[in-house]
Amino acid sequence: MPDLHSLSEILLSRPNKPVELLALMQLIQAKYRYLPEEALRELASYLKLPLSRVFAVAGFYKALSLTPKGEKLVKVCCGTACHLKGARQIQGALEEKLKIKLGETGADGKLSLESVNCVGACALAPVVMIDETVFGKTTPKNIGELPLLT
Amino acid sequence: MPDKYIHGTIDGIKISVLKETTILSASKLLDINIPTLCHHEGLVPDGNCRLCTVEIGSKLAVSCLYPLREDNFTVNTKSPKVHEARRFVLSLLIARAPKAPRIIALAKEYGALPSNRFLPEADNCIRCGKCVRICKINRTEAISLVGRGPERIVTGPFLKPPEDCIGCLACGLNCPTGNIPFREKDGIRSIWGRNFNLVPCPECGTALFTKEELDFHKEFAADYCPTCRRKKIAGDLLNCQNLLVRSN
Repeated sequence: MPDLHSLSEILLSRPNKPVELLALMQLIQAKYRYLPEEALRELASYLKLPLSRVFAVAGFYKALSLTPKGEKLVKVCCGTACHLKGARQIQGALEEKLKIKLGETGADGKLSLESVNCVGACALAPVVMIDETVFGKTTPKNIGELPLLT
Repeated sequence: MPDKYIHGTIDGIKISVLKETTILSASKLLDINIPTLCHHEGLVPDGNCRLCTVEIGSKLAVSCLYPLREDNFTVNTKSPKVHEARRFVLSLLIARAPKAPRIIALAKEYGALPSNRFLPEADNCIRCGKCVRICKINRTEAISLVGRGPERIVTGPFLKPPEDCIGCLACGLNCPTGNIPFREKDGIRSIWGRNFNLVPCPECGTALFTKEELDFHKEFAADYCPTCRRKKIAGDLLNCQNLLVRSN
């Protein structure tokens, strides 16, 4: 079980109204890098919502995860422009370099590899995002220069 | 208030209905049968199964959701266009639920063959959400539709047996494809991977409700089964009457 010492702090940062469900989930996701079952139970009882509804929302959004994500999130853009510019090759090169498949998290919990549908930087296609930073014009060769493991 | 009524025809039969009546309800008044799967009288229509499609004017509409608002409406529930629309819907439904007797019968009636367009996993659930909506309106809300697109499933929280379930069977009894199995044996009712003890009537021993159900619906909670309760109330009334007669 994860250490949830600051969970009550997170919950109390927003009023206990059902509309706060998603906002609180995002805060929990940001803090623990996933939504632990115990945290969702606390959240449901704080907002007085049925657990089934909380779980359905947690499972719906791609930005929310029920399994732990890595400390660093590497996102390959697979939107139309990036797809045409060879996002698949970038994906393959990253999988090879990081030794994990798309959608997986490394065994050491340092890194997760994901695909996204468009980050809105099509002029820079193909794009890779590391956490909140966008890296454009990537090639299977130059991804070695990305700050992946630092 | 005559302006609240609007007039038109359904399958050529003249009808006047209150404005905002759905085509499905209006057709029921005329005993016109429209097939439905996800519809239930006690629920807000959700239009998920698309089977109740009919033609209004020259457009196709889902009759459970379509409120009649304009005068001189013309609804056709049996036109070739409607038949074709329902046949298409059924070809998708039968691919998803090839073992459900009701879907098999309907597919046969409309001449629908399983679609191979999306190749969904045939698991007999058509994702109509009827069970989830019933569970919600009963205030238990133990199960929900989780995930998106082809991965959407009905499940309890954390993909485990639903802990808020009270074993009322409302979901299982209303599932249009009979895909929520349940059984009762030796005073135990099983559904959703959980077992519930049935509480016997203290008078005749018939077990109708689970303990969780009686606890949940405290306001209606009855120790006796409906038959014995009726007898008991009748007996009480009779005693009262006798007392009254005697005191007079």
